[in-house]
Amino acid sequence: MRKLLLCLIAVASFAMLVRPERGAAENQFGDANAQPAPFNPQMAAMMNMLIQPRHAKLGLAGAADNWPLAGYMLKELRQGFVITARAVPRWKGLPVPDLFDAAVDRPLKLIEAAVKLQYKAQFDDAYGKLTEGCNACHATTEHPFVVIKVPDASAFPNQDFQPKR
Amino acid sequence: MKVPVRLASRMLVVAAGCFLSAAAWAGGAGFGDDDDNADEGGPSYFGFVRDNNGATVPDAKVTVSLKNKISIVTRTDALGTYKVPGFAKDIDPQDVQVSCDKDGYRQLRVVRRSTPNPDPKIPIETECTLQR
Repeated sequence: MRKLLLCLIAVASFAMLVRPERGAAENQFGDANAQPAPFNPQMAAMMNMLIQPRHAKLGLAGAADNWPLAGYMLKELRQGFVITARAVPRWKGLPVPDLFDAAVDRPLKLIEAAVKLQYKAQFDDAYGKLTEGCNACHATTEHPFVVIKVPDASAFPNQDFQPKR
Repeated sequence: MKVPVRLASRMLVVAAGCFLSAAAWAGGAGFGDDDDNADEGGPSYFGFVRDNNGATVPDAKVTVSLKNKISIVTRTDALGTYKVPGFAKDIDPQDVQVSCDKDGYRQLRVVRRSTPNPDPKIPIETECTLQR
């Protein structure tokens, strides 16, 4: 009888200890009463926020012969790489600045020259190399399933990519 | 209800045990992306193969050797990088040598860019330069 009582009390104690803390300990999204944490986006978020949209906008601007916009987006894209490499200097142990340098530095320089010359054929060629560099880097970092391509449509319905006449 | 002293002390021990296991469980859930097996071996070896203009060289042969005992041969990828897993934990990375090769090139130099890091996820970086 005493053993049964002891067992029941132990189970009740366990339940009391665990249940009231459910919100804090078990909620995978955190605790509503916690202090707001600093926003610290990591590689995937940086790629989605700073790199992929700018890569797309650069391609759309070039395709439309909108050279002022292409020049602006090129600068923004390059800055996106710099910000990302500074925020996440190593990813899964690998040196991010070196990977970016190997993957995109040369194509970005070729695009810069093409934009300055407003030379569409060189832009298309360099933009293709930039896109290849993105995919090579994804393969190196064991993300070959993230395949970037030259955009064939705009994902920005509120932006006109045609040059302003 | 009157609870005997011995029973009360047992209850306290059981409750403390329950509390400790619940606390350990709550804190044990991982938040990182440590999905590698870095603790099982020594550091991995990573690097670029470049030509003497600084451009990366894809599809170069890279040999990572342990004092002429065993060698791992791999090739650089499209970005010109190689990566090989680490040897056993007790292997001194100073005993591991990297060399590179490609048809039409000769090896110019090999530079180790990093030393073993306390973080086992960070590989030992060695850059190999080829010259035509």
